Amino acid sequence: MTRLPGSFLLALAAVAAVAAVTTALLPVLGLASAALLFLLPVLLAAARGGLWPGLLAALAGTAAYNYLLVEPRYTFRIDRLDGLVSVCVLGAVAVVTSRLATRLLAREAEANARAQASAELAQLSAVLAAGDANDALAKGMAFVGGRYGPARLIEALTTANRDAVFTSLDLAAAAWALHNGDMTGHGTEIMGAADWSFVPVVAKSRPDLAVLALARRPEGGARTMSELEQVQQLAWLLGQCRDRASLDRERGERAVLEQSERLRRTFLASLAHDFRTPLTIITGRLELIAQRGSGGRDPAVDDALAAAHRLDRTMADLLGAARLEDGSLRAANESCDLVDATASACAALVIPPGLAVTRRVPADLPFVHADPVLLQHVLANLIDNGLRHARRALTIAAEPEDDRIVLTVDDDGPGVPVAERERIFARFQRLAGTDHSQGSGLGLAIVKGFAEAMGAKVSVGESPLGGARFALSLPRSSGASG
Amino acid sequence: MSRILCVDDEAAILRLLSVILQRDGHAPVPAPDARAAMAALGAGGIDAVLLDLGLPDRDGLELLPALRALAAVPVIVISARADVQEKVAALDLGAADYVTKPFDGDELLARLRVALRGAGTQAGRDGVLTHGPIRLDRSRHEVSVHDRPVALTPREFAVLAELVAAGGRILTHGALLESVWGKAHQQDVEYLRVVVRALRLKLEDDPAQPRLIRNEPGIGYRLD
Repeated sequence: MTRLPGSFLLALAAVAAVAAVTTALLPVLGLASAALLFLLPVLLAAARGGLWPGLLAALAGTAAYNYLLVEPRYTFRIDRLDGLVSVCVLGAVAVVTSRLATRLLAREAEANARAQASAELAQLSAVLAAGDANDALAKGMAFVGGRYGPARLIEALTTANRDAVFTSLDLAAAAWALHNGDMTGHGTEIMGAADWSFVPVVAKSRPDLAVLALARRPEGGARTMSELEQVQQLAWLLGQCRDRASLDRERGERAVLEQSERLRRTFLASLAHDFRTPLTIITGRLELIAQRGSGGRDPAVDDALAAAHRLDRTMADLLGAARLEDGSLRAANESCDLVDATASACAALVIPPGLAVTRRVPADLPFVHADPVLLQHVLANLIDNGLRHARRALTIAAEPEDDRIVLTVDDDGPGVPVAERERIFARFQRLAGTDHSQGSGLGLAIVKGFAEAMGAKVSVGESPLGGARFALSLPRSSGASG
Repeated sequence: MSRILCVDDEAAILRLLSVILQRDGHAPVPAPDARAAMAALGAGGIDAVLLDLGLPDRDGLELLPALRALAAVPVIVISARADVQEKVAALDLGAADYVTKPFDGDELLARLRVALRGAGTQAGRDGVLTHGPIRLDRSRHEVSVHDRPVALTPREFAVLAELVAAGGRILTHGALLESVWGKAHQQDVEYLRVVVRALRLKLEDDPAQPRLIRNEPGIGYRLD
């Protein structure tokens, strides 16, 4: 809708043309048809030039009609009532027609603009949907830049700060938009004096708010609110694409993590395999040698066998330590029978000659909550530790205590000094110390780590036997108790 | 004499297995990889398979069903990993039993004897099963230990019957739960623990130091 002087001239010219035609043909046309013809320039002017040219055509047409056609002709005087009525009706109809035509025109223009806006949105979605999210986002920004002038995506104020094109007012507007999720800067109500407009690209409540910065038009025209509203729609689309990009990125990072996790597991599994295969050959061959001898077993062979078994246990402890370290340990929570667990732990151990092992685990002991495999490992390590320190006696006992079951392993060895009692469960404690007869020290660290993973507690104190008492306190199973 | 196919990529392990097997009068048939194992089993005359799960050319867990499909012989899995899931998976895939490296020669031979026996006499006779001191009469629903009659609930009887029928082979928790309680209760290990506890109190000479029913943590139960 342009209101150039041209459309006013056009209105007057059209009225003049109709006036000439009607004046010449009045006897043929009659007054009523002539009056109708004066509506044509009104329609033309309103359609081409809008409201004001239309009104001008209405006024000029009415005047010309009055002056040229209504009796007495060539004066603006009106003698007869019907003449007055026809002039007034023509005037009113012309004015209303002009307004209606203008409104129709405006509505059409609005529909056009809306169609254009949706086409633009559709185009941008197509651009953003294609291919890799990061590339699509860059292409989407280029698309917006191509239509609305220089555009930038600001994800944090620090990136905006480094950009020399922003004045301090721009930065303030950007900060507002980033913090509050409002449209700010040029063309808006908030800091409208800024050179750039800032449009949020994600919903207000999001912590990762980002804004689209749009430079003031170089040709100088101010951005209208409706234009910025369209830009807001485009910005939402950009925001969705940005979400897709960050999801893709997260997925990629997770995949890398899973990959390294898998590698590590494969490594540990093959390490176990590489260790145990030679151990199998060593122990197998040693056993065959031991059986070959006719008169009694050779103690040297038994020593070698015991050492090989120790190596196997250390390997299991090392793998357990690796699982504790990287947090991949997932303890199951089943109800377990401690009678079962101690029986299988004892069955797996070689009890040195001259050592009496007493088991006092009541057959009707309530079940405990634990991971059966970890529990087995914990018990084996505790009993193994006791066997290595005991002189003559080792006692394994268990009894209920409130809502827990406490299993104790007592030995008559040297015991653990009070000052050492906390440190003894620390990793490689024994290795750093002077006494290497006690193994790597990994065993008790595994006990503590696995116990804690199962919700159990382990502690060390004095034993009535004179040595150390290790106590494992396990949550009692709420279910059946045997 | 039984012909035992030994599948392991390590030559020293194959030699060790040969010596151990020959001690019990078996004839070892070595196979260094999956391809050779399939060929040897396909040729026939094999009574049981000792299968290492860590093979160079094929995953042992994959090979297991293929071997089972080729010939109906018991397969004992030899695993270098302490990983419980792998053992349960192997048993679920039809392995008769497993041993963990480093294994004990006597234990391996004992497992093999049980597996070979199971293969021969799986068809129940007159409904009377025995294992060590346990005598279980399926048709009359009677159990005795050392000729001492023991009264069992139907669940206890069913679990014990499964274990006795397995004759020392390991039964996984899942398998026991499925055959006694039904498929829907495969995960309810707690049911099984309660029943095994009750069985111990009734069967064992000293229930605090059980000897008859052996627990394999995280895997299942077997009769000793």
